[in-house]
Amino acid sequence: MPALAAALALPPAGRRAHAHAVVLASEPAPDSRLPPGPATVRLRFNSRIDHARCRLVAIGPDGAEVPLAPAPPPGAEPVVLAARTPPLTPGAWRLRWQVLALDGHITRGDIRFTVVPPTAP
Amino acid sequence: MEYLLDIYGFGAVLLDAAGDAARAALAGGAAVLALIAAPRGAARPEGALLLALARRWTLRGAVATLVVTLAAAALQAVVLAGTLGRPVGDSLGAAPVQASGAMLGAALVLAALAAPRAAPPGWRRAALGAAALALLAAAAAGSHAVARPEGRGLLFLATLAHQAGAALWLGGLPPLLDALRRLEPAPARQVGRAYSRQAAAGAGLVLLGVVGFWDGYLGEPEALYGTAYGAMAMTKAAMLALLLALGGANFLLLHRADDAAGRRLPLVRRFVECEIALGLAVFAAAASITSLPPAVDLREDRLTLAEIVERFTPRAPRLVGPDHATLAISALQARLEEEARRTPAARAPAGYVPGAGEPPPRNAQNVAWSEYNHNWSGLLVLLVGLAALLDASRRIPLARHWPLVFLGLAGFILVRSDPEVWPLGPIDLITALRDPEVVQHKLAGLLVAAFALSEWGVRLGRLRNMGARFVFPLAMVAGGVLLLAHSHAIADRKEALLVELSHLPLAVLAVAGGCARWTELRGPEALARPARWIWPACLILVGTILTFYRES
Repeated sequence: MPALAAALALPPAGRRAHAHAVVLASEPAPDSRLPPGPATVRLRFNSRIDHARCRLVAIGPDGAEVPLAPAPPPGAEPVVLAARTPPLTPGAWRLRWQVLALDGHITRGDIRFTVVPPTAP
Repeated sequence: MEYLLDIYGFGAVLLDAAGDAARAALAGGAAVLALIAAPRGAARPEGALLLALARRWTLRGAVATLVVTLAAAALQAVVLAGTLGRPVGDSLGAAPVQASGAMLGAALVLAALAAPRAAPPGWRRAALGAAALALLAAAAAGSHAVARPEGRGLLFLATLAHQAGAALWLGGLPPLLDALRRLEPAPARQVGRAYSRQAAAGAGLVLLGVVGFWDGYLGEPEALYGTAYGAMAMTKAAMLALLLALGGANFLLLHRADDAAGRRLPLVRRFVECEIALGLAVFAAAASITSLPPAVDLREDRLTLAEIVERFTPRAPRLVGPDHATLAISALQARLEEEARRTPAARAPAGYVPGAGEPPPRNAQNVAWSEYNHNWSGLLVLLVGLAALLDASRRIPLARHWPLVFLGLAGFILVRSDPEVWPLGPIDLITALRDPEVVQHKLAGLLVAAFALSEWGVRLGRLRNMGARFVFPLAMVAGGVLLLAHSHAIADRKEALLVELSHLPLAVLAVAGGCARWTELRGPEALARPARWIWPACLILVGTILTFYRES
C-alpha cells in the first residue's frame, strides 16, 4: 500500500490525459494556416459518435466563442463531424470540440490554427 | 460541476470496473444457481444450503449492478448535460444511457427470477440463463465494439463471449467460496468440481474473446508495447495467466481422488480468495483499457523497443534535489529541448476526458523533482522489503520494526507531493485543499502513516484486533486496483507511455504481494511458508522499480 500510495501521490512530471474517441484527421490540421473568410471544418474520429450530443466551438483571437452547428456530412460515415464557420478574422484561433462516442465515452480537445491575411503582391 | 469534471475521468473508470465486477457477480451467481445448485435440489441439507447461498449471491450481484449502473449513468448524464449546456433529460436518449437502461431491466428480471426460495424449476433456470445473456448483451451494446466504424458484429460477439466467460469463471467465485466454507468436505468437493467445469468453460470463452479483440483492437505485436492500450492489455494478460494458474491448481486439487481430498480444501479456499482479488484487479485493468483508444487507431508516434530499453537501462538514482543553478539541470533542460525539437509534431490532435487538458511542456526542474521523489520513495520501500525479508527469517528481532520506515515515507509524501503547496510552496494548506488532487495526495500520506502505525502494532502484538492484521494485504490489493484504474489517464504520447510502463508492474506486484500476505496470515501452513517470502520479495521489486525510475 505505501509503495502504491507513493506511486499515486507523487505524480510524474508530465501526465497526459487521453480518452477513447480521438481525432484521426482534421481540417484544419493542427497548427495550420488558413486565409481569412468562412471555412469548412471537418473532424474524423476513430469511433462512431452521437451527433446530437456533440459540441463544436471556434474561439477567436479575442477569446470570443462562436458556436458552430456540427453535423455529419451527407452520406458520410458517422465518424465525421463537420461544420461551416462564419468569416474568420486574422489571428490565432482554436477549434474546441467535444463528442460522445457510442460506447459512452465523452472526449474533448482543441485544435489550434492561425488565420493569416493574404500577402500583398 | 467543476469538481465533477475534475473527478470524471477517474470516477468513470472506477465505476466501469465496479460495473464489470457487479455484472459478473450477478450473471455468475445466476449460473451457479441454475447450473450447479438447482440440479442438486433442496431435498438434501447440503442442497438446500447451496441453493440459499447461490440465491443470496445472485441477489447481492443484482443490487450491486443496479447501484453501480445507476451511478455511472447519472455521472455520464450530468457531465454531458453540464458540458453541453443542455438539460439532463436530453442525455436520456443517448445510446449508452439506453444500454444502461437495458442493463437495469435485465438486472431487475434476474433479481425477480432468483428471489423465490424454492429450487428453480426448468423454466426458471432457462429464464435465468436468458436474462443473464440479455444483461451481458446490454453491456456489450455499450462497449468499444458498437462504436467501431467497422467489424462491429464480430467484435460484439467477442465482447459478449469475453464477458460471459468472466461471469462464469470469476462471477461464480463468491458463491463457491461461501459453499466451500460452509459445506461438509465431501459435498464441498462435489460443488467445487461442478464449479471447476463451469470455470473451465468460462476461461475458454474469455480466451475466445481475446482472439476476436486481437484483430479488432491490437492488430500486431508491436502494439503491445508501443501503445497504452497494448501495455494495459499485456498487464491484463499477465494477471489472467496468474488466474489460470490458480484455477488450474484448484482443478487438480479438486479432481484428484484420494484419502487426503478433504485436507486439500483449505488450499482450495485460499486459492479462491486470491482469485477473487486478482479478478478485481483484472476488472480494473479492463475498465482502464476501455477508456483508451484501441491500438489499431494509433499507428503513429508509437514507442519502439529501443526507446524502452534506453529508458529502462538502470542509471544511478537521483538522490539530490533539483536545483536550477546546477549544471545537471541545465544539461537536462537542454536535452529535453533537443528531444522536443527532434520529435515531429503529432499528426492527429490530442483528445481528453472532460476535466483533463493539455499539460505544461516538459521542464527539467519538474522531471528532476519527480525522479528525486520516486527514487527516494523507492529506496525507502526497498529498505522495508529487505527488513521484512529479514523479519521472515525470524532471526533478527529488530527487523520486526520495519513498518516504522513507512512513517518516513508518509512524511516524504505529505511534504513533497505538491511542491506549490505549504511547506515547500507559497499556497497555504487550507486553500490548497480545495484541489481534489492535493486532497488525494495528502490523504495518501495520512493513510500510509495510519497503515505504518497499525502494522507496527500488529508486529509488536499490541494491536490484538484480528481484523487489524488484514489491513496490510487488503490495502496492498486495493492500492494495486486503484493504480490500474488510475493509469487510464496516461496514454500514447511516448513520455507518458514510458511512465505508464514503469507503473503497471507496480500494480501487479502490489496485488500479488497482497495475496501472498493474505495467504501467510490465513494459512494453511503449507501455503503460508512460501507466502512469507513472496510478499517481501514483491516489496523489494516495487522498491527497485521506484529507485531506478526515470523520466528522462
